[in-house]
Amino acid sequence: MRSDSLSAALLALTSGLVLLGAAVALWRRTARGIVQALRVQGFALAGTAVILGVQLHVALLLVTGALLIVVKAFFIPFLLRRLVRLDPTGGESDPVVNVPASLVAAVLLTLAAFVATRPLVQVIHGVPITLAPFGFATVLIGFFVLVARRRAVSQMVGLLLIDNGIGLVALLLTTGVPLLVELGGTLDVLLVVVVLRVLATRMHAELGDLDLDALRELHD
Amino acid sequence: MSVAVVSPWIIGSGLLQVGLFLLGAPLLVGLMRTVRCRMEGRVGPPIRQPWRELRKLLLKSRSQPEHSTLVFAIAPVVLMATTLVVVWLTPLLSVRVTLSGGSDLFAIVFLLLLGSVSLSLAALDTGTAFGGMGSSRLMTIVALAEPALLVAILALAATVHSSSLATIMLAALHHPIWLVTPQRLLSFSAFVVVVLAESGRLPVDNPATHLELTMIHEALILEYSGPDLALIKLAESIRLTFLLALLANLFFPWGVSFSASGISLLIGTFVLLAKVAVLGVVISAGEVAVAKLRLFRVPELLAGAFMLSILAVLSALVIA
Amino acid sequence: MTAALIVTMPLLASLVVALMGWRRWTPFIGLGADAAVLMVGFIGAFHDLHHRVLILAWANLRVDSLSAFMVIVIGTVSVLASWGSVRYLRHEVDQEASTPRRATQYSVLIQLFVAMMLLAVCAANTGIMWVAVEATTITTTFLVGHRRTRNALEASWKYIVICSVGIALAFLGTIVLYLAAEHAGGTSLHALDWTWLSAHAHSLNPSIVRMAFALLALGYGAKVGLVPLHSWLPDAHSQAPAPVSALMSGVLLSVALYALLRFKAIAVPSVGEMFPRVLLVVMALSSLILASLMLVGQRDLKRALAYSSTEHMGLMALAAAAGGPLAITGLLLHMLGHGLAKSVLFLSAGEMLIDDGTTEIIAAGGLLARRPYLGGVVALALGALLGFPPFSLFISEVTMIRGEVTDHLVWAVVISLIAMVIAFSALATHGRHLLIEARGLNASRVATSRSAIVPLATGLVLCAFIGLSAWPLASILSAAAKLVVS
Repeated sequence: MRSDSLSAALLALTSGLVLLGAAVALWRRTARGIVQALRVQGFALAGTAVILGVQLHVALLLVTGALLIVVKAFFIPFLLRRLVRLDPTGGESDPVVNVPASLVAAVLLTLAAFVATRPLVQVIHGVPITLAPFGFATVLIGFFVLVARRRAVSQMVGLLLIDNGIGLVALLLTTGVPLLVELGGTLDVLLVVVVLRVLATRMHAELGDLDLDALRELHD
Repeated sequence: MSVAVVSPWIIGSGLLQVGLFLLGAPLLVGLMRTVRCRMEGRVGPPIRQPWRELRKLLLKSRSQPEHSTLVFAIAPVVLMATTLVVVWLTPLLSVRVTLSGGSDLFAIVFLLLLGSVSLSLAALDTGTAFGGMGSSRLMTIVALAEPALLVAILALAATVHSSSLATIMLAALHHPIWLVTPQRLLSFSAFVVVVLAESGRLPVDNPATHLELTMIHEALILEYSGPDLALIKLAESIRLTFLLALLANLFFPWGVSFSASGISLLIGTFVLLAKVAVLGVVISAGEVAVAKLRLFRVPELLAGAFMLSILAVLSALVIA
Repeated sequence: MTAALIVTMPLLASLVVALMGWRRWTPFIGLGADAAVLMVGFIGAFHDLHHRVLILAWANLRVDSLSAFMVIVIGTVSVLASWGSVRYLRHEVDQEASTPRRATQYSVLIQLFVAMMLLAVCAANTGIMWVAVEATTITTTFLVGHRRTRNALEASWKYIVICSVGIALAFLGTIVLYLAAEHAGGTSLHALDWTWLSAHAHSLNPSIVRMAFALLALGYGAKVGLVPLHSWLPDAHSQAPAPVSALMSGVLLSVALYALLRFKAIAVPSVGEMFPRVLLVVMALSSLILASLMLVGQRDLKRALAYSSTEHMGLMALAAAAGGPLAITGLLLHMLGHGLAKSVLFLSAGEMLIDDGTTEIIAAGGLLARRPYLGGVVALALGALLGFPPFSLFISEVTMIRGEVTDHLVWAVVISLIAMVIAFSALATHGRHLLIEARGLNASRVATSRSAIVPLATGLVLCAFIGLSAWPLASILSAAAKLVVS
């Protein structure tokens, strides 16, 4: 990376923040802390959009940035926060994979993401592309959260991490997929989160808890 | 540069640095205590209180447990000596303060570790239950915290292709853009956690506790008294100050003097004092809001710091 | 125009239902809309055949013969499912198992679901298709959880989480493909357009396309029910109301497979035959083997049917991996035949649930003696699923295998045949338990109402008819297959 331009440095910073958010979400046990990490990611994503928009003079990216702030930094954390209140025992008391092991896993996954995106970075040049591995790493960490955590809220967080990672890749790689698709993507995630919240509320009514381990009836 | 270029200037400014830390470190501890007391609504002792305590301890006579050996006797000296060497070697006031080539980060981390190890050996040497417990707890923390510290600095070193602290600081001063890269962000987060753990502050250890079940650091030094205890307390406060100064200089290197003039050295001194004081206040203010972690959660916290520092290195490699 | 019409009809139906609220005849609105879709699909297919090229609606919707064929598949199965919904909903409301409000919700969602599947196959660009496929997940989640039991909740949670993950991967794949297209000179929406992509497939950067295809295969593969993201399928299919299971198993999986077909056709010119083929063969064979082994120990009919769907999807994915004209033609025909047979079976399971209160194979045993009509339908449909002539699955399976052999996938065919034999014997055993051996319910005969049998019989007759006569599909099929043959 040529570090002489401010926007390049800022882009690197926001991308790093997205990965940092993912790492913190894996690290923290309290649901509140995790939601906070997601909010930081939301701001970082919006920041990425705005920086790219200013740098490339694309007004639509500014719109995307505003949208991202509204949805990812405020609305989704708001939804999750209300769900957390339903779940007074809070966070992950006894995760399937313990925290230090999952941190090691996160490091390995990040490494894997950095290696896997090598071809991409080598083929196409430019500052944003070199930062794409951060997004891929976030996606993989999201997967890990999804597999290793058994609270309803944690699984939603996993999905959101995946989505934020993809959002970052989308912004960096293509400097914005056509807005129509971007909008569709954001809206879909919003809907998925809303649906999951409805299901979680139902779960709470049914089980009095938000622990997915209570739902283990269906298997072969 | 195998032969160190030793000039009177370097010796002098190095001594200045050491003297400053010797005198100032207890005051920093006093400052942090006072801030904490004020935020909790208490009046608190005056800032120079740690010095008074040291003086009191120095006036007392030494005592050594039965059956303990030389290890117990020399541990405080080793701790103090390594700490002072570390302070002397590190470019804190001025990047020219040190023996060139000496400010290598590996050397510094090694020396810090040496101090911790000697103290925990001494605790084992006393043969008491608390000593053994404290020693094992300390080793758990150190084993996680030291690598994290090393790797966190390595992430910075990878950007400038040198493990010399002076080079890292100079590079950051010359390219202000480098102050906001993701690897610095990640490495900074790791660094903060490590500093807290290393210096025995909340949420890892409570410096004010003497509750047997939870104390880590106090358990180690339970058998010391008199001048030995004074030496240890002084060394510990210097270590805390040193880590804060290192944090400040690595991540916010402005104000560090890099010319050989007295004026810039003076500026460097004042800026460093200010930075360390601000960091100390921030940390003690943070401590008010944080509860101590349960002991088995501490490795989790430090593993997190370790993860962040490795992520920092990876990021440095990706962006380079 | 046609494309817009196709998608808007079910949308309109769901809007009308939403406004009207629950009446005893509201389910017929959806049925009418789906029947109309089916007709328009046929019209569209023949239009394309007679080289009135593409039927454009807006720039983002387009119906070529492949899309038209998919519209026909969706139309056919959704007509059956909507028909089945009429009885299902009336029963639910009569028994007060469901409030009118939830019946309305069901009717609205099921038509939205159909509309989104239609949008997915009519979308002219990968982005819109992605949005549509994701929307099917969202609409079906509530349908899966319609019964509000604890198990339904678990199934819908699993369903939405796994499918959202899959679809997220697919989004990543879409973005990476877009990057490749942009790199090859495409701009904005063009670079996502199917026709643009296939026209410029040669100039796309192979290493980027390889990554994109892997992501897309995994992502849409989740929706197809292929390994490794398959575990939602048996739960969702067994917990959803019967008509919803029929739709999901009969067409939703096929719609996702359609996406894979399209993407493979774009990937092959860029990265070569090898990579997509190996990936798909691995996914197909592991799904086949897993599904046929799991099929053996099943106790619940709907769960067994779900695994059978995975098995059939594995077969089709193998044909997709082969990619020759014969294999693809067989695959497309199999989509239709499987959709018909499977939806008939799921709807029959729904009937069993209504009258007997169970779909446990052993518990519901002796079906043929107790309920000769329903038992007969189940027997015939199972026969169809197992690949007996005259049903179309016989021809399509033979065609797929011949195609795979021509495309040098002999060893994969051998493995798939072994898996098919296991699945065959397992399903046949289940069939015997269900139809002949009466061990569970007392053998009192229950009359099955004609309104229940008519849609089921219609489905079977259609399936047999397609198996016996090439008209009217032969020409449509070959035109459709041509679009994605590599």
